[in-house]
Amino acid sequence: MLLSQGSMGWKLKSSLYVITGAIAAFLALPIFFIVALSFGSSRWLVFPPPKWTLKWYEKFFENPQWIDSAMTSLQVALLTSVIATLIALPASFALVRGKFKGRDYLYSLFTLPMIVPVVIIAVAVYGVFLNLGLTGTLFAFVVSHVIVALPFAVISIINSLRLFDKSIEDAAVICGAHRLQAIFKVTFPSIKPGIFAGALFAFLVSWDEVVISVMMASPELQTLPVKMWSTLRQDLTPVIAVASTLLIFLSLIIMVMAGLARRYSNR
Amino acid sequence: MSLQTNNGTSSHSPLVCLQSLNKEYGNFTAVDHINLNIQKGEFLTFLGSSGSGKSTTLSMIAGFETPTSGEILLNEHSLIQIPSHKRGIGMVFQHYSLFPHMNVRDNIGFPLDIRKIPKAERDKKVDDILKLVQLETFADRRPSMLSGGQKQRVAIARALVYEPDILLMDEPLGALDKKLREDLQDELRLLHKRLGITIIYVTHDQDEAMRLSERIAIFKEGKIVGLGTGKDLYRKPPNAFVASFLGSSNFLKVKVSGPNSATFEGQTIQLDSEHDVPFNQQALLMIRPENLQVLSEDQATQSPIQTDENEAFGTVNESVFLGESLTCSITTADGSLVTSKSIATDLPEIEPGAKVRLRWKVQHSSVYSKWERSDIEKDAS
Repeated sequence: MLLSQGSMGWKLKSSLYVITGAIAAFLALPIFFIVALSFGSSRWLVFPPPKWTLKWYEKFFENPQWIDSAMTSLQVALLTSVIATLIALPASFALVRGKFKGRDYLYSLFTLPMIVPVVIIAVAVYGVFLNLGLTGTLFAFVVSHVIVALPFAVISIINSLRLFDKSIEDAAVICGAHRLQAIFKVTFPSIKPGIFAGALFAFLVSWDEVVISVMMASPELQTLPVKMWSTLRQDLTPVIAVASTLLIFLSLIIMVMAGLARRYSNR
Repeated sequence: MSLQTNNGTSSHSPLVCLQSLNKEYGNFTAVDHINLNIQKGEFLTFLGSSGSGKSTTLSMIAGFETPTSGEILLNEHSLIQIPSHKRGIGMVFQHYSLFPHMNVRDNIGFPLDIRKIPKAERDKKVDDILKLVQLETFADRRPSMLSGGQKQRVAIARALVYEPDILLMDEPLGALDKKLREDLQDELRLLHKRLGITIIYVTHDQDEAMRLSERIAIFKEGKIVGLGTGKDLYRKPPNAFVASFLGSSNFLKVKVSGPNSATFEGQTIQLDSEHDVPFNQQALLMIRPENLQVLSEDQATQSPIQTDENEAFGTVNESVFLGESLTCSITTADGSLVTSKSIATDLPEIEPGAKVRLRWKVQHSSVYSKWERSDIEKDAS
């Protein structure tokens, strides 16, 4: 086999290790730099940091604007996650179980926001909400984020529903359970990891969404990535590195949770 | 439990009655106007290859598929308008279909919980049935911690705990290995005898059908083409398809020359009187390999042909010793290929190329006037 390590010569093997290492570094180094810079003492983001300090973290947590935007992000992401999952759940049942004309087109429609450039969606929803006078509201943030988060929730739930053996649900029905009862008592508990993973992905999409958020934001209501973006344009301060680190940290936690959920579901 | 006292005394009207049951998917007819009565306490098997309509028929009885037309009666009441969960039918699925997030006890208790049976009664019923399927020690395990055979027993317990009128089983042993499958077949047969429940069993495995059931319904292209005990279907197959589908068979082309005679390769042979083939028409003569006696020329001269026997001439191609039996492949005078199978205790000396006589008793042959090529070419494919 081409991919069996044992049969490779040492030259091939070592160059493979070098290439893999280089790509891994290429992917991980920016994160590493940002985290390191957030603890560095240099005002001008000098690398390597001359000294280590927590003062930028102090500055971050002292500034209510940063805290507010972080809380807004959390709020928007949580709402987006819940709403996207609640829409994705029945949609997934229809797309997997349904026997109707145009089912495949409907599936494509649900995944479309993943393919269409975000900026186009951003401009479109901006136009709509501007007309309605709703820009800068929590409602606008959540609705527009649900649009881009929905495909991730749908795909995750659809996958777990396809893997779920429907005869288990049928067994509950023949045992005397109404179809809906069977779905709630048997199917949902069985595909819980997939639903959970879908909710987490939806959360993540909203959590680091910036293109649409920039359009939806007002000076009073903005998410963390928007606050970072606007701060960055005025002033390159290490506080941005702090915000980035916190953003990455939460994302990492969520990725680990999603991973655990997936492992649990594969058991 | 009333389950155990029920001896399945047969009443006059059947428990389940399928009347002209039909299921079409677009232009494809999955089940083609089936009529079938199932008696109380009976163990009936739907036997057929995949796509023959057996599983679709079962699904319609369970209520997972809606018939295109026709009627299903249970205790003389129509099931058509009744949703699955109100039919009071028990079912065991191919892949057990246990609830993965519940332990064995809660899996079995599920039908009782749905029916809101009081806890004390529920627990007692679950305990009783756990004992019946010998799974008391596994009550707190999750299905993922059970072996295939144990899972199957849990599935059966879950289907029986609410004392359904009828138990449907959809290839429930298909996923198990041969040894375990045979053990469970014996268990299932004993369970059926002891409880007297009515079972409709679906399988594509003819050995399983023979081993388990009192009656077998053989499905082909959405129709039931054979119905009866395994013994009757094997010994007197109603048509060439059933003859070829159940066990092995030899088919010889003969020409009917009288009410109970025909010509085969220029020779006159006797036919069983039970046939409906018109005079002078081509027909198919079926003989099971174990009913075909092979004699060398010497043996043939020593033991004269009996009055109820027929004889044909042939040449041995090959003989294979299989331990308990010996099979011979023989070409007849005009080139038909037949197989014989004899118990190998007193072996005739049969070498390839030897001239032999083939003899069979008249009552061991069946005659068919109609057949399709595909019916008789199963062994070749």
